[in-house]
Amino acid sequence: MGIIILPPVVEDIIPHHDESDDSMSVDSDEDVEMSGVRAPKRARIGNQTVSTGVVTPGEVVTDDPQWMRGHGTYMTPLSTSIIATVAGTVHKTNKLLSVHPLRARYTPEIGDLVIGRIVEVQSKRWKVDVAAPLLAQLPLSAINLPGGILRRRTSSDELQIRTFFSEGDLVVAEVQSVHQDGSASLHTRSLKYGKLRNGVFLAVTGTGGSGASSSTTKGGVGDGSLRPGASSGMGGVVRSRRQVWTVNTHNGGGEVDVILGVNGYIWISKHADGAAAASSTTENVSITRMEEMVSTSIYSSQNDVIAPQTRREIARLAQCIQVLVQGGVRVDEETVMGAYEASLQVDLEVGDDEDEDEETRHEGREYLEGAKSRRILELVVQHVK
Amino acid sequence: MSNQRQASSASQVPHLSPAELSYLYTSLSLPKTPIRPDGRSPTQFRPLTAETNILPGTNGSARIGFADGTQAIVGVKAEVEKTVLSNETLARNDGGAGHEHGDQEGSAAVGGHGSWVQMSIEIPGFRDDDALPVFLSEMMRESLVGAVGTDETSDMTGGLKGRLVINKRWHWRLYIDVLLLSQPLAYPLPLLSLTTHLALLSTKLPKLKSQGEEDPFFDDDWAVAEYLYPRPSLSSGGKKSARSSFVRPPVTLLVISVGDNIIFDPNREEIAVADAVLAISITRDSEAGNLKLLSIRTVDPPSRLTPPGVPNSENVSMLGAVAPTEDVAVLNPATGEEEVPGVWRPRRGGVKRSVIAEMVKTALKKGGVGEEVLEGLEGVEVS
Repeated sequence: MGIIILPPVVEDIIPHHDESDDSMSVDSDEDVEMSGVRAPKRARIGNQTVSTGVVTPGEVVTDDPQWMRGHGTYMTPLSTSIIATVAGTVHKTNKLLSVHPLRARYTPEIGDLVIGRIVEVQSKRWKVDVAAPLLAQLPLSAINLPGGILRRRTSSDELQIRTFFSEGDLVVAEVQSVHQDGSASLHTRSLKYGKLRNGVFLAVTGTGGSGASSSTTKGGVGDGSLRPGASSGMGGVVRSRRQVWTVNTHNGGGEVDVILGVNGYIWISKHADGAAAASSTTENVSITRMEEMVSTSIYSSQNDVIAPQTRREIARLAQCIQVLVQGGVRVDEETVMGAYEASLQVDLEVGDDEDEDEETRHEGREYLEGAKSRRILELVVQHVK
Repeated sequence: MSNQRQASSASQVPHLSPAELSYLYTSLSLPKTPIRPDGRSPTQFRPLTAETNILPGTNGSARIGFADGTQAIVGVKAEVEKTVLSNETLARNDGGAGHEHGDQEGSAAVGGHGSWVQMSIEIPGFRDDDALPVFLSEMMRESLVGAVGTDETSDMTGGLKGRLVINKRWHWRLYIDVLLLSQPLAYPLPLLSLTTHLALLSTKLPKLKSQGEEDPFFDDDWAVAEYLYPRPSLSSGGKKSARSSFVRPPVTLLVISVGDNIIFDPNREEIAVADAVLAISITRDSEAGNLKLLSIRTVDPPSRLTPPGVPNSENVSMLGAVAPTEDVAVLNPATGEEEVPGVWRPRRGGVKRSVIAEMVKTALKKGGVGEEVLEGLEGVEVS
């Protein structure tokens, strides 16, 4: 089974009136409770005046003056028609019309945990790609010095700026402030933050999102809006309570860390146990120096020894996230763990079916695609519901 | 500036940190069982969607989309052209009508000529005289016209070139236009080659009504047009096409080696850590159904340009944290260079003979990757 060639899939265009009922009850939060009373009337209005489904920039969403314009729309001063500025789906919250983009760049907000890639090194700061419209900056004064020493940054620090981070390096950081033009300033002043190693990187869409969009996805689960391939524009990483957690993997994989950057950059790596890491580098560390030892290794670009089992489970987690993204499901701790468990379950199911040809069947078994990914999505959707 | 450099080195290298590169390399070079970032087996391809005859104005066309979102369209157009004979050929034609098929250099009228196939590749973000499109089109055209049928009696004598001959004075000229619709995420060669293959499989030429050395005259009915590469399922083709149905256009596969492992259909992260990147062109041209190797080209591996990692022992920001004896350089058996485990060193190029032999073997052997790919493409409905 080296190659699979599929016929092209014709993506069905959803007719207006079909979708509008759904989007009324599903997409607007407030409507859910009172949908029994008001939905019929609203649906009628929606049918006539507001184009639902996907709109493109410049398309008139509605020219009915009763609607207020929200994000992703604009109005010309002389007319009452609301025009979309982004390609995306129309959302209605009471009388507020907004267009949620199908794909958007990340908008930084203070306190976001982000993963970024250094693209430029300047004399006193780094420029970091965080998937935002503008590069974020990471000043030299906003990082931890090795050993956790607290002092003023000197010119010698500026000279050896590349020993901390250089081009291409991945950092996990927090947004410290957002400037007027929307660009972000980052800091890594915590032991949680710093250079990333021992794992794989993967980029999915992450718009920062909001609680609303994730709950919409949740609500939409039941009515099949989550079918694989239908990109509802809701997938990707959203702000949530926990962006970083440790997975206890199966198949002897040990512990694996997952970091979901709000900007859609994801890092999956072998769990770095602080104390263990310190004691592995030096034999006898006094408990008071422990923190110091940990923080010295934050600028290392040398990987630890990682067992094949761990690598396999890291690859599996990465694929689970890809499956979620392709299925248009939001990515957070709950769904990722759900997908991981589901992938293990699917493997067991498949293993029962195809026992006859052990040797060849095992090839590429870890590849989650097609039927497997559909099954995983199903299980995740059930689980999350 | 760096973009330009990457473009000319025929590879779009993603920016990867040394730690990522090292992780990837070690995963992919695990003896016997490489772990690919997407969990595929070493010879497994990403699923792709394919359809043919999508452009009404062409003799044959195809579209292929990879799962990563890259897709390509190929259109094949044919045109009748008068054969320009060189003086030498004319003289020989006067001397005696009989030619040997193998004697192709002088006898363009019989054996066909490589310049009758023109290929142009359009890649977004590249000019048509940039290195990448020119190199790619020449690489694909070369294997296309280089494929020569061994069966003396069939239509496909002399491969595609021979098929294009109408008679001594006229021939077909093929224009193959390849259009990459998306940004070239990975090295686009396999995608373009597979699409071209499929387009050529679906290409039809109008049925010739005139005979012998008459000026060519064709049947108006498109329904009776003949496939450029005769299809096995064709009932009207008769004995002749059934016999030559095993001749197929070549496909070019991208193969990388990482350590001692050989990996097919690499994605761009995998190419970024490859020790060697090879483009292997294969085709099927004999009755036995054996695959034939047409060409091997090395592609400049992007791993050369990647940033090196710094071992902990040399890391200034870690001074005093590491015992000096900790990092012992180990000899990497694949490259013959000393390396500290877990630290990325850019590859310097070079690949072992045995690895290349293994690559070719995996691609060509019976039931191997090449056969699977050709069968898969054969299975695509050509309507």
